[in-house]
Amino acid sequence: MKNISIYRPTSVDEAIQILSAHGAKAGVYAGGTDLLIRLKNRLAQAPIHLVDIKKIQNLRYIKEDSGGGVRIGAATALSEIADSDLLKSKYPMLVEAVHTISSPELRNASTLGGDLLQEVWCQYLRGGYACWRNGGYMCYGAIGDNSYYHSAMGGRLCYAVYPGDAAPALIPFDARVKLATPGGTKDLSVEQLVPGDLLVDGRIQSHVVRYNEILTEVSIPAPKPGLRASFEKLRPRGVWDFAMASLAMSIQVRGSAIEDARVVFGGIAGKPLRETVVENFLKGKTLSGELAGQAVTLALANAAPLKYNATKIDMAKGLLASGLNRLNAAN
Amino acid sequence: MQPIEAVLFEPVGCLAEFPPEPFQEIAAKLFRRRKQPSTSGSRAYWHLLNLMEAAGEADMAPALELQAVAEASLYEDVPPALIELKAMGVRPIVASSLSKVAISRFLEMNQLGGLFDRIFGRDDAGGIKTAPLQSALRNMRPDRAIYLTDAAEGLKVAKAVGVNAVLMMNDPDEARRLALRDPAGGIVSLHELPDFIRVVAAENAV
Repeated sequence: MKNISIYRPTSVDEAIQILSAHGAKAGVYAGGTDLLIRLKNRLAQAPIHLVDIKKIQNLRYIKEDSGGGVRIGAATALSEIADSDLLKSKYPMLVEAVHTISSPELRNASTLGGDLLQEVWCQYLRGGYACWRNGGYMCYGAIGDNSYYHSAMGGRLCYAVYPGDAAPALIPFDARVKLATPGGTKDLSVEQLVPGDLLVDGRIQSHVVRYNEILTEVSIPAPKPGLRASFEKLRPRGVWDFAMASLAMSIQVRGSAIEDARVVFGGIAGKPLRETVVENFLKGKTLSGELAGQAVTLALANAAPLKYNATKIDMAKGLLASGLNRLNAAN
Repeated sequence: MQPIEAVLFEPVGCLAEFPPEPFQEIAAKLFRRRKQPSTSGSRAYWHLLNLMEAAGEADMAPALELQAVAEASLYEDVPPALIELKAMGVRPIVASSLSKVAISRFLEMNQLGGLFDRIFGRDDAGGIKTAPLQSALRNMRPDRAIYLTDAAEGLKVAKAVGVNAVLMMNDPDEARRLALRDPAGGIVSLHELPDFIRVVAAENAV
């Protein structure tokens, strides 16, 4: 076991100072359901200076803002989101999605920020293989068993999928995040937060947060008039697992016409995958039973499945048909 | 891994899919070996090189070698990857046991001529397998170069000259077997090669 130091700052500024002092060897510690397992798995990129942000008072809240939107502190537990009456009334799809994340026990500990920024759960990485995220220069998932946790939409060095469910579920609401940084606050969309694998501070990660930055808040704009949303997730087991494929979608309907749409797949790519071809197709169409079949033929034309995971694309297309049928049934 | 300054390419299996038949025919003609049933051009090529090395033979049958080149099918990600490598200041070099004539024909056919810094074939290197790599590495630190290969023999050759062997993981099953031979790394597609080199550079910068 590595020697670990734990810091317990009481303000975001103090936390940033500690993170800055230790460079990329420091990491934010909140729920610990990802970070502590990364340490237990002895991953090369796991931090050894843990900055525990649980004592920081103003990072755990769910509150309505003046514009009718909702702000959620990044250290808010997933169970608090799942139980929030405010969120149930405004964004039932988000609550439904959060209910599918891991188990009730883990949702008590896991935070929204942690779910958004978690490390991938590729079995080769977590099993200690020297892959791109663990001090090596090869993706074992690309040539090994890639049935569950690897991309069917191509990759760049690492072929693991982005594992979170909160991000795909937030994107259809045009949610944004705030990052506290040494130079001030950064404001990003959730899509910008998790753009897929990239090199940040010398390591490969799925999000843009630098070693000395802290995700502090997620804000969701007020639901637009006529907005309907749907979330479904398919996983290897009925409960307690990551998505093999998931779909979060929203449509904004005026009369019977679709004015705007968001279609976001999870579990099939290295990022929450917005399928803009389908979104554009849906705009201006009338919501009907026939729409699903047409949308499915257009979806995921750029699929690049690995040897064992082509079925993920079939699952994702099935979810699209199912999602559109659900939204049509809610008409 | 040290920052990478050059990439050594073996055209067979790394830049293009070569047919196995011409190499099998050369083996049959020069060494009276029965044609092997392999469908991999790369495997047939390295098998032939092993036979040549054992017999001290310096030449393939030129017409059949050129036939292999003529029937080779270039991987689509080769030109963009080479352009990006050059833009990054990394030197792409051909280091192959093919003849210089065959390499030149291959580059000309696929319009790759201007994209390589240097070309080393078996005739100007004075040998096969390790010889072209040694020639290519003459004024360069081997630990600052990558040699791309999709074959077990390629990994051995790289190890012998001290260059970083990176697997082209064209076939997942074969790549899984070769991954056990301790390559320095592996890529699924050539378009990942510039990112590979950036990651190594970033690690060295930290």
